Amino acid sequence: MSDLIFNAFVFPGLLYVLVWTVGLFWFFRKFMAALHKRVGPSFNGKGGSYQTLFDLSKLLTKESITPDGVNPYLFSTMPLLAVIFAMLPAAFIPWSSGFVVVDSTYGLLALVVLIGIEPFLLFLTGFGSNNKYSFLGGIRILTQSISMETSFLLAALSPAVLFSTMNLTSIVEQSSWFSFIVLFPGFVLYFIALLGLLEQPPFNIPDAEQEIVYGFYTEYSGTNYFLLQLTMFVEFMAVFAGAATLFLGAYKGVFFDSYFFFFMKMILIAIVMMTLRAATPRITLSQMLTFSWKYMVPLALVNIAWVLFAKSLWFMGA
Amino acid sequence: MQALKKLMGTFECEYVEDYKATWIKAKLHSKDDLIELVTALKKEGVRSLSTVSPTDFLADGIMELNYFFEDLQDKRNLWLKVDLPREEEKCEIESITNIFPSASWHEREAFSMFGVRFLNHPDLRDIIKSEDFRDKYPFRKDFDWVAHESNNLANVQQIVDAFKKEQNENEVDLDPDSSETILNWGPTHPASGPIRLRVHCDGEEIISIDPDIGYVWRALEHLIELKDFVGAIVAVERLCFMDNINSMVGYAMAVEEIADVEITDFAKWMRVLLGEVARVSSHFMGLGGFFNNMGLHTLGMWNMDTREFFLDFLESYSGARIATAAVEPGGVRYGLDMVMFDELQKALDKFDSSVDEVEAVFVNNPTMKLRANNVGVLTADEVHAFGLSGIVARASGVKTDIRIDEPYAAYGELDLEYITQEGGSSKDRFMMLFRDLKQSVEIIKQAKLHIEKAVASGEMHPTKDHMVKVPKKLPKGEAISRVEWARGEVLMHLVTEEKAKTPYRLKLRAPSFNHTMMLDYLLKGQTLSDIPLIFGSLYICQGDLDR
Repeated sequence: MSDLIFNAFVFPGLLYVLVWTVGLFWFFRKFMAALHKRVGPSFNGKGGSYQTLFDLSKLLTKESITPDGVNPYLFSTMPLLAVIFAMLPAAFIPWSSGFVVVDSTYGLLALVVLIGIEPFLLFLTGFGSNNKYSFLGGIRILTQSISMETSFLLAALSPAVLFSTMNLTSIVEQSSWFSFIVLFPGFVLYFIALLGLLEQPPFNIPDAEQEIVYGFYTEYSGTNYFLLQLTMFVEFMAVFAGAATLFLGAYKGVFFDSYFFFFMKMILIAIVMMTLRAATPRITLSQMLTFSWKYMVPLALVNIAWVLFAKSLWFMGA
Repeated sequence: MQALKKLMGTFECEYVEDYKATWIKAKLHSKDDLIELVTALKKEGVRSLSTVSPTDFLADGIMELNYFFEDLQDKRNLWLKVDLPREEEKCEIESITNIFPSASWHEREAFSMFGVRFLNHPDLRDIIKSEDFRDKYPFRKDFDWVAHESNNLANVQQIVDAFKKEQNENEVDLDPDSSETILNWGPTHPASGPIRLRVHCDGEEIISIDPDIGYVWRALEHLIELKDFVGAIVAVERLCFMDNINSMVGYAMAVEEIADVEITDFAKWMRVLLGEVARVSSHFMGLGGFFNNMGLHTLGMWNMDTREFFLDFLESYSGARIATAAVEPGGVRYGLDMVMFDELQKALDKFDSSVDEVEAVFVNNPTMKLRANNVGVLTADEVHAFGLSGIVARASGVKTDIRIDEPYAAYGELDLEYITQEGGSSKDRFMMLFRDLKQSVEIIKQAKLHIEKAVASGEMHPTKDHMVKVPKKLPKGEAISRVEWARGEVLMHLVTEEKAKTPYRLKLRAPSFNHTMMLDYLLKGQTLSDIPLIFGSLYICQGDLDR
């Protein structure tokens, strides 16, 4: 029982998520500032490290405005549900050797499904806002997630096919440098689909501020906005952790295995994502659809074929 | 030119005379001939209308309309005048919008500000002025501003009422069974600036766009009439803060023409140098804005970094970074300390060291090309028909650049060539802006070298030569001046009375007005994603849009 409470509230639950959000937010701002040739937060704490903490706590104390004419239950429960669903995948991730909250045979499936639910919750926030821009944002997020999730699922399946298991722990245990090379095309596809799912450039179409004023965020303020921001960063964590587990060998490192390597792998993915963000403009919805269905999905299928071929060649004996 | 003059000879004119190198100035005897004349003009090849500017002569009871027609290709222009009675009931004339599409908004502006009614205009609504000026014509000489402003509370109430009325009624006419809706793109929108586009759309697809402008209307043309000839520069430079020098150059040239003053060589070269620095600082913002509108802020930040160095030079010269007030009739306002060129050299070095990086990452950006190619395409014919200018015109392959067409300041002595881009898409406009920026930096280098040499040889004296005296009182007269502003052509039409201490009328024709007119034309049938892209590529500034 006490284990469960520890898991839910400390690691990998609430506290971990909050610390991750504050830390990653600050890291994003500083890293982005360097790419932009500016300073970034610098006044509060060393290198402005308290700044995000202050910003998030400020949001908590601000008035949460519920606009006229919306369904207040839908409007206010959706951000909360979105955070909870975004936190759930953490339970299936093997954070370090032998540490996993739910060691399930269907871990991979749970991960993909829980990540896949998220866009629908965000669509409902947009739908419940009674605002034209939010509604357009909601429609866009549905369009995007439907087209990106297909290739996301297919790419995530490639390690399961290779190792003949959906148990994340056993996927990590069987991974090696050689399997990394075999799975590398799958990793690239997973990463591109991840950009689409997380609404990161060039696929930041659903919350395009210049077009539809941040889409589903438009009407949110105060605590609800805090929850939505938290959702986004927790989702980053889930998806990065998924990538690290499936393709990069999770906690496995050089000389010793530890959570430290897991963390560094996640940060590595974050850095690549940020660098893309600093150099790529947004594409349009129709271009995204073309890209997804014309290139991503066929390539993901070819990738599955490649993994099966490689498996029959090198992994059958083992 | 001869053909144009011959054409004018077939109509009954009070006079037809040559004016400057590229202009013919004529006054039509009767307004009834106007339609026939402009139809013939268009056939002759003069295809663009720059602006329509009324001048209100209260004492004579005359509203004089000035039409400025331009031929961007063959560089021959016509300044056509026609008199109307100034009483509100009789102040009307045939609209030429059906022949020159670019007249549309200019005629609306003349209607809103002076009450000139244009018969058969397709869409003669108020533009620019706020709701409290409804049925009032603020630029008429007998308009009582003091009385109007003494009632400010009621005026604000009128604006609020009108807003609420529109809010309640704007979607009433839409079909309730369709998914059509009206989106407000602005005035408080992350990418719009102070302009509002009523976007009539069906889902993501745009049906039509009706721009609502005037959110930064300062009535500059009226403010200028309250100031003396030197004081007016601070109003003129507020046309748009991003390129303030060139607008002051245009105004100063018009005053100098009426005062019949020739400025020194040094002042001419300084006008080139300062003007190009201002152009560079404006282009930096424009390039950044283009990418900002696609959700990428890196270029904007990088450009800000370089732009600061150019502003440092403006600050060392004039004491101000943005609103410099550095050019006035008679020359340039301050003498030059040659150590100020060190600041300029720093800026040039900074530019040279960073330009390749920008070119590699952003100008050749494959995603940008994917996105902006073939979007918002303007053909050369459309450029002529809608009177577009500056980088927008040159991106469609039209060779128009007032620095070369009608050289002013020291541009005639510079080594300068038209740079154009074929294609006319948003991408081409971005490329054009970047190449224009590089050209401007080259001009700065030429001008700097020339000044340095001339000062070293004693030809110019940087602390004595900067000004010649311009009399405080000007004779009766009028003049037009054109400058190549960062965003395109700025035309100023200055009218003075006998022994005038203040301008009687100054018309500011600014390029963004024409460019904003194109939004509906370009965006019809496109998607919502294209609004910020095309808006950004047209390089619009709300300052000179509203004035």
